[in-house]
Formats: sequence, structure tokens, C-alpha cells
Amino acid sequence: MIGNFSRRLAVALFLFAVLVIAPVARAEAVSNIVATPATIDIGAQYDGTTLQVSGTIPSGSEVIVRFSGEPATLHLREKGKVFGMLWMNVGKVSLSRVPSVCLIDSSSDLARQGEGAMPYRLQGLRHTITVDEHTGSTGIDVIDELLLLKRQAGLYAENSGGVQLQPEGVGGRGFKTSLHIPSALPPGNYHVEAIALRDGAVVGKATAPVKASLAGFPLWLSQLAFKHSLLYGVLATLIAIASGLLIGFIFQSRGGAH
Amino acid sequence: MSLTMNLYLPIAGNSVNCLAIFGLGGAVGLLSGIFGVGGGFLMTPLLMMMGIPPTVAASSDSNQIVGASTSGTLAHFRLGNVDIKMGLLLLVGGIVGGSLGVQIIKVLRQMGNADFLISVTYVLMLAIVGGYMFFESLQAMKSSSRPNTAATPRRESIYAKVVRSLPLQAEFKRSGIRLSLFMPLVLGTLVGVLAAIMGVGGGFIMVPVMVYLLRMPMHVVVGTSLFQILFTCVNVTIMQATENHTVDFILALLLLIGSALGAQIGAKVGKKLGGEQLKILLASLVLVVMFKMLYDLLVRPEVLLATMGGH
Repeated sequence: MIGNFSRRLAVALFLFAVLVIAPVARAEAVSNIVATPATIDIGAQYDGTTLQVSGTIPSGSEVIVRFSGEPATLHLREKGKVFGMLWMNVGKVSLSRVPSVCLIDSSSDLARQGEGAMPYRLQGLRHTITVDEHTGSTGIDVIDELLLLKRQAGLYAENSGGVQLQPEGVGGRGFKTSLHIPSALPPGNYHVEAIALRDGAVVGKATAPVKASLAGFPLWLSQLAFKHSLLYGVLATLIAIASGLLIGFIFQSRGGAH
Repeated sequence: MSLTMNLYLPIAGNSVNCLAIFGLGGAVGLLSGIFGVGGGFLMTPLLMMMGIPPTVAASSDSNQIVGASTSGTLAHFRLGNVDIKMGLLLLVGGIVGGSLGVQIIKVLRQMGNADFLISVTYVLMLAIVGGYMFFESLQAMKSSSRPNTAATPRRESIYAKVVRSLPLQAEFKRSGIRLSLFMPLVLGTLVGVLAAIMGVGGGFIMVPVMVYLLRMPMHVVVGTSLFQILFTCVNVTIMQATENHTVDFILALLLLIGSALGAQIGAKVGKKLGGEQLKILLASLVLVVMFKMLYDLLVRPEVLLATMGGH
């Protein structure tokens, strides 16, 4: 009786391994993902940068590359019509799990990659972002408006066809792309994901971390502004007054010759 | 050559083109020097268009106005256009009014529909001030071309009688007027309340108040207004730096180099223009801003969500 049970258990475990673990093992098949630079230094001359991403995906698959930031809460104002004619702030919207940045590109048309691609597209954020507070009475689609706002600020973008695939090889096929990182990138921790899809289903996924941090003069000034704010405020006004006086005197002495 | 004109602003969290910011500062500084207004009502929206968050745009603008108004005050002081006594009284009133206004806005927000009230007050204020100044100056310019009418003595208005009967009358030599000390204090307070409610420096209300209610000569008005704005903005900059960390000094410095130069040129341009011409130009500027605000209120915005801190 016990021997029979253990035989059945062994068969069940084998089947489990074949049906569940094997595809998972295959799903891990995106490899060698590399994002360069791994650390983005936001120095005085920083004006956005280009992030090179490369890796290997399973044979016969397409890839989506997504660069995104840590999800955070976001408070916004909502605009609506008052008395049927004037557009102004009518309420407050609080959202959580909003990535500060989300940049997406793919090796082929995203629209044709089926349902499997959906969670990794901008519209997929609809299922992860939560609306905690919405005091405005207008029936607007908050997520749609958020995507529009972020797109306008250059912090969200979705493109197709920007990821280049190399010819099929023995261990899969290589991909590479360059993502334009906006100048408004807030310092923080980010990650690049490469999602491999075949026949509309995800067959592999890998991530690489990217860190963005202030460096040089911006770092020094930011620390002064946040850690010694009174000194910073007083210095800012004193330097402004001194500059105003200096320019005034220079101008006046030149103008005095007339 | 890969010399970049871009500079990263650590508090604003974005990079900007130095020349564009410098030019923007110059243009607004020119207006400031000519009319004695801070120019915040022009600068903040333009900075927002360049990708600067609204709170940082407004605070850094206050910081740059410190520099520009120092330069402008100096230029006007040398021309004998600053009534320090009047400026100090208006300033004291302005500080009291500003604190009152902040409390009023808190109550309004709790009652709801505060934004509606603010927007409507703003547009009405601009329309009344701009419209009145425009037509009054136009009439004055017309009548000055007919010398006979200027000679006829004007009947003393009730307002003038009330003003004369107030206690603590004092001489304001620079402005060449005699007034009760209460007048600048009370009017300064009123402007402070309005400015705090509308979230602006108040230069465009203060200038007409000095011209029409305090009856100061236009050139002294401009210099005195700048003198007063200097102190108001020092206060705002330090407050914003300590409370909200929204002052981007690099942005302010770029703007102020432009605007301090602009203010110097503005003061000279202003000197060449007559008082009535100055008034009519300022009135036109105020009316343009009013129409822009009205347009924003009537036309559906592209995005129905906005970051906190903007109008």
C-alpha cells in the first residue's frame, strides 16, 4: 500500500517537473543582459544619456526592453469644468505604485505581440497602478491622463522596432538597443528588463539594475539645499544681491560715460 | 566642437539650455526695469514650459528677482526714483497682508471652490487694473495734447478729502506728496492679502495702487516698487529654501544675470518714456496676461491632470 503510494508520488513529481519546472527553466533563458552604463552620473553637464542594452533571447522569439523606476506614490491635481464653462483645478488624485520613468522598446510591432506583451506595455500599468484618492467629480480615465502627462514630460515612452536582433545562433539570438534616458530622470534605482515572447507568450525574462545618482557640483549643491537649507537660502539671496549690485555698478560706470 | 550649452539643475531635476534661460531672464528683467514689476506672472509659466516643476519655477524666480530688483533699485536710486520711507511702510503693510492672505487662503480651501475664487479674482483684478490704467492714460495723453484743458483746476474728489482728513500726515519728499502714514500701511496690507491669495508678488497691483491711490509720480513708483519687491523676495526665497527646498540657485543665477542686465536697460528705457506712455504699456501687458489667463480658463487643457503647485 505504502509502496504503491510512493510510486504514484514519484510519477506525480516527475510529471510536475516535466510540465511546470521545465518551462520555467526555459523561461529563464534570456541571458547575458547587460546595461551600459550601469551607473548614470548626473553631473553638471548631464543632459540625458543613452543606455546601451544587450543580451541573448531564445531562438525564434521577439523581445521587449523596458527601463523603469521604483514604483512610488504620486499626488496630482485634477482639472475639470466649473459652472459649465471654466477649466480649473477641481480635485486631487493620489496614485500609488507609479513608476517614475517607464521607457519601452521592442524588436517588432508591439501591437502584434499579443496578450503576452500587454503587461509590459504602458497600458499594462493600468493593472499595477492603484488610484487611492480621486476627489474630482469628473468621469475622467485617471490612468490615461497620467500616461499622457508622463509622456508629455518625456518620462514615459513606448516605441516599436528599435531593438535590433542578430541572426539565429546556437544558444539563441542576440539583441541590442539604445534607450534615450531623459534629462529629467530623478536620481534613484532603476532596472532594465528584457522580456522574450514567442507566439504571444512570454518565454523568458531577465533584468539588470541601473543606478542614477547625482555627482559633482549638483550633488554638493543638493546636499547643501536639503541638509543646510537655511544656510542655502541665505547664501542664495546674498549671492543674488551681490550679483545684482555688481552688475548694477558695472553697468552704471559704463553708462556714466554717456 | 562638443561644447554644450546645457546645464543640469539639481533642485529642478532637469537640464536646461543656458542661453535660453539667460535670454528669458533678460526679457523679463527689461520689463521689470521699465515697469517696476517683478515679472513672476510671466516668468513662472515660461519656466514651466521649459520643463521646470511649477514649485521650483516660482521659488527660483523669487530668488532671481532678489538680484534683478537689487540691480533695478540701484539704477533707480541713482536716478532719484526710490522713496525709501514710502517703500518701507508699504513693505510693513505687505508683510502683514501676506501673512493674513495665507490664513485667508487656508479658510477658502477648507470651504471648497477656492481655486475658482482665486482664478476669477485674478482675471477680474487684471481686467480692472489693466483696463482702468489703459483708458486713463489714453485720456491723459489726449488731454495733454490740448494744453487748455490741463490748466482747468479739478474739483477735489471725496477720496482726496478723506485722505487729507486722516491722522498722522507726513511728508514724502521723494514722491513730493503729503499723506497719512496709515495710507501706505493699509494699502500695502491690502495688496499683500491679494498677492498671497493669488500666489504672486503683487507688483502689478502695487504699481497702480501707488499711482492712483497714493498719487505718486510714475517714475518714483517704479523705483519704490522694485525696492519693496527686493525685500519681499528675500523673505520668500529664504522661506521656500527652508520649508519646501524648491529654490534652484543655479537656475536663479542664470536668470538673474540676464534679468539684472535687462533691468538696467529697462530703467534707462523707462526714463526715456513719459509717465503716461509707461502706464499705457504696463496696462497693455497686464491686459495681455489677463487674456492669456481667460483663454486658459475657457479652453479645455490638453491633459486633465497636473503636478501639484501650479495655478
